[in-house]
Amino acid sequence: MSLQVIDNATCTFCGCVCDDIQLHHDEVRIHEAKRACVLGTAWFLNHTAEKKHPDALVDGREASLDEAIEAAAALLHAADMPLVYGMSNTTCEAQKQCAALADQLGGLLDSHTSL
Amino acid sequence: MGGKVTCTLGEVKQRADFIVYWGGNPAECHPRHFTKYTIMQKSKFLPRGRKDRTMVLVDIRETKSAKAADIFLQVKPGKDFELITILRAMIKDQHVTDEQIAVTGLSREVLDDLVGRMKGAKFGCMFFGMGLSMTRGKHMNSAALLTLAAEMNAFTKFVAMPMRGHGNVTGADVIMRWQTGFPFGITFNRGYPRYNPGEFSTVDVLVRGDCDAAFIIGADPGATMPQPAIEHLKRIPTIVLDPHVTHTSRLSRVHITTAPQGIAAPGTAYRMDEIPLPLKPPLKSPYPTDEQVVRRINEAIAAKPFWMPEGSQPQMLTAQV
Amino acid sequence: MLRITGGKVYDPANGIDGEVRDLAIDDHGRFVESVDGGRTIDATGMIVFPGGVDVHTHVAGGAINFARAMTPEDHRRTQAFIRTKSRRSGLGGMAPTTFATGYLYAGMGWTTVNEAAVPVLSARHTHEELADIPIVDKTSLTLMANNEIMLDQLEQGEYERAKQVVAWYLWAAKSYGVKAVNPGGVAAWKWGKDAKQLASPIEGYKKLTPGGIVTQLARICDDLGLPHPIHLHCNNLGAPGNIATTLDTLKHLEGSRAHIAHSQYHAYGGDGWDTMCSETAQLADYFNTHPNITTDAGAVLFGDTVTITADGPWQHLLYKLTGRKWGNLDVENETGCGIVPYTYRPSNLVNAVQWASGLELLLLIQNPWQVFLSTDHPNGGCFWRYPEIIKLLMSADFRKECTRKLPDKIKGKITLPEVDREYTLYEIAVSMSAGPAKALGLSHKGSLGIGCDADVVIYNQDDDPARMFGHPRYVIKGGEVVIEEGDILETPQGREFLVKPARDPDIDAFMRPRFEECYTMSFENYPVEMERIEHAEIRECISHAP
Repeated sequence: MSLQVIDNATCTFCGCVCDDIQLHHDEVRIHEAKRACVLGTAWFLNHTAEKKHPDALVDGREASLDEAIEAAAALLHAADMPLVYGMSNTTCEAQKQCAALADQLGGLLDSHTSL
Repeated sequence: MGGKVTCTLGEVKQRADFIVYWGGNPAECHPRHFTKYTIMQKSKFLPRGRKDRTMVLVDIRETKSAKAADIFLQVKPGKDFELITILRAMIKDQHVTDEQIAVTGLSREVLDDLVGRMKGAKFGCMFFGMGLSMTRGKHMNSAALLTLAAEMNAFTKFVAMPMRGHGNVTGADVIMRWQTGFPFGITFNRGYPRYNPGEFSTVDVLVRGDCDAAFIIGADPGATMPQPAIEHLKRIPTIVLDPHVTHTSRLSRVHITTAPQGIAAPGTAYRMDEIPLPLKPPLKSPYPTDEQVVRRINEAIAAKPFWMPEGSQPQMLTAQV
Repeated sequence: MLRITGGKVYDPANGIDGEVRDLAIDDHGRFVESVDGGRTIDATGMIVFPGGVDVHTHVAGGAINFARAMTPEDHRRTQAFIRTKSRRSGLGGMAPTTFATGYLYAGMGWTTVNEAAVPVLSARHTHEELADIPIVDKTSLTLMANNEIMLDQLEQGEYERAKQVVAWYLWAAKSYGVKAVNPGGVAAWKWGKDAKQLASPIEGYKKLTPGGIVTQLARICDDLGLPHPIHLHCNNLGAPGNIATTLDTLKHLEGSRAHIAHSQYHAYGGDGWDTMCSETAQLADYFNTHPNITTDAGAVLFGDTVTITADGPWQHLLYKLTGRKWGNLDVENETGCGIVPYTYRPSNLVNAVQWASGLELLLLIQNPWQVFLSTDHPNGGCFWRYPEIIKLLMSADFRKECTRKLPDKIKGKITLPEVDREYTLYEIAVSMSAGPAKALGLSHKGSLGIGCDADVVIYNQDDDPARMFGHPRYVIKGGEVVIEEGDILETPQGREFLVKPARDPDIDAFMRPRFEECYTMSFENYPVEMERIEHAEIRECISHAP
């Protein structure tokens, strides 16, 4: 089986954000992360494109993505002071949406930095 | 006091002949920091690489990083602020007593030597980690170290930089600043951003029980926060977005599985020196990205009535009260 | 479609000086001869201008975002834009948030802004911020005069290579033009030094001088055919006696096009802070006899602000002078930046000289097509205070009233009290719109002519120019009414203009090893992808080589 190769991939495990990683993958799993350190290798190799988790859980039961999004929107909209928190392990593009969410809700917005 | 005198990592690679790591353990927490950005690199200005550079490690215990250091200074736990303040005095030839030095666990001889090396450097850089910024004194320690770096510029070129961990936390910081003016600890409860760490920071909010819903993304507070904070997350409706079902997912009302960033989700991440880098995800996830899901939640909320009645607020306050 | 009827039109690009004219705008947001249907704005008795164009401002990217982090106390007291169902919240003040930047510019009738200082290494960040500034159209300039790979080529006498390197960087940054800040001085600052003499070799170089950089970089901009010439922040900013450096720099530019940034900071006499005085008359004389160069005032207004510049060594000095917060960020191979909060006080003799000097330049340079309204935001004052400057330019009496508040010792140090000139509305329209648009090479901006972008600002006629220009009746961006009676109606996404200068096919191969030697990111990941720019529009390069 021949693996596909991605050059100059970026590792987001730690703040070094090394962008010189060569990834060898078969579309389901990454088999090798050249130049990555021990932490980065574990990060890349521990994720797969397999469906290991349910799309969503609502009140502990499996739910569709659409149901979960509606439920999340309803709970956040009903709250008086909702909190938007985290944003470490995610992209800038998602972070911008999070800031927009807190702005729209009139809520709180905070990251790991405050710990 | 205040501000930050810093640079991008390439400047350290190119020029820094004197490098201090303070309260951090890069050998185990940022394993490529030495080789990619700092002491091991050769450059046109430092052609012999490691031989042209001096590395100092300041920490409360001898971590694996000490093996890489030329000088290891074991400061007494909780005495970083005192040590930095003494150094700020010594670089300016101000008097410091033996008793004051003894508190830090180090000797005058060692500190005299350190000050001499700092002043003798052509380009000095101090990296500081959570061993400084998250221990007794917290942000006061960071501010003191940043001030020491700024003051060193009266003698030679000197900079300082936090060793930020945790993936793209720097990106969150940068984006919140341009969209709200503040880096974290923000409330929009008056319809515009306000900032007050201690009041609007998450642990404080949760422990006091101030919020009545929580949206958690790219973090697992259920595994890391103090128990009273976790108890409040259990009491209120909590929503989690994560590639895995996490501790926080298990105490939440809604969990949505998303594609991991940089592995199956494209976009951008910021390095610790605030340089943005593009992500190149190799895998195609069966799950949507965080961006897609939060965007759809935003759209679903936008379809509901806005929380402030139309026209109840002015467009702009000319001055806040 | 939109018609604007009955207004008194000031359109200097087409020589129209206060004539009653009708304007018609089509569905593409451009001026046309006539339209059928659509809304009509009756502007009878009102004043109609082309939308404002800011030739030099700092509104997006690493430096202003650093300044935001350093000034939370200002965010807490300043203007706050309150969230609505459809509009993001924001904060104004010294370093406004991106959304508020768009609201504040549009709110006073400015519809195009030029972000004047972008390191390529963080250009990706700058474009993200620019995309979050609503309403206005944008351009950005790349910092080049301390880029070591480029300087190395000049040192070796490889002019053609240097030109190719500049072209490569501009396209990597998705930029509109070249900014030069303290040529050689920022590179020297990497070792804690500066470059104050145009003829002395730069720290770390044997032959290359600041003067050599200025001359060759100006020529590179012309040879590449950039729509905007070299945009130069001269050496020795802010220093007493720097008029000599500035005049010397101008001589190095002869034969080239050039735009001199924030001249106010470069027009001082004296030999120390005690003797510092205005030498704007000398500098204005030079402009009055050299119509090929333009400048912006970099005017100072009294009050609080935060200074941000790529001029790292100057900011270290300012930190030492003030003892206030100091931010510094050196950017590998390319440039640096420094940030210091600052308060300009009328009681401070140096500040008083600066305040007068900015106005003097605007008044003593005869041709308004050569000198434009700017505060070098936020350095001399915040951009949203431009209407105050317009009032100072239009009313000699108001200037005299303000001058009386300066310390007595100011006598003999400034020439402002002897200047009686008052700007006309036509001249204001040149200085805030038509002139900067022309200098930027944005031929579709700053003009109400057929085919141009329909950016219009309509004012109620008012005896108080500060009130008139601070509160437009209507602001129209690309044919869309965005502000009406002070209310923000729409917040459309603006466009970004950039250039794609011609490059040799082998320049990538030339750059790669040099890049890998001094940078810390992958060569492939460095250029900003075109799809990252929202509403990008590439403007043509036309050679200006003599």
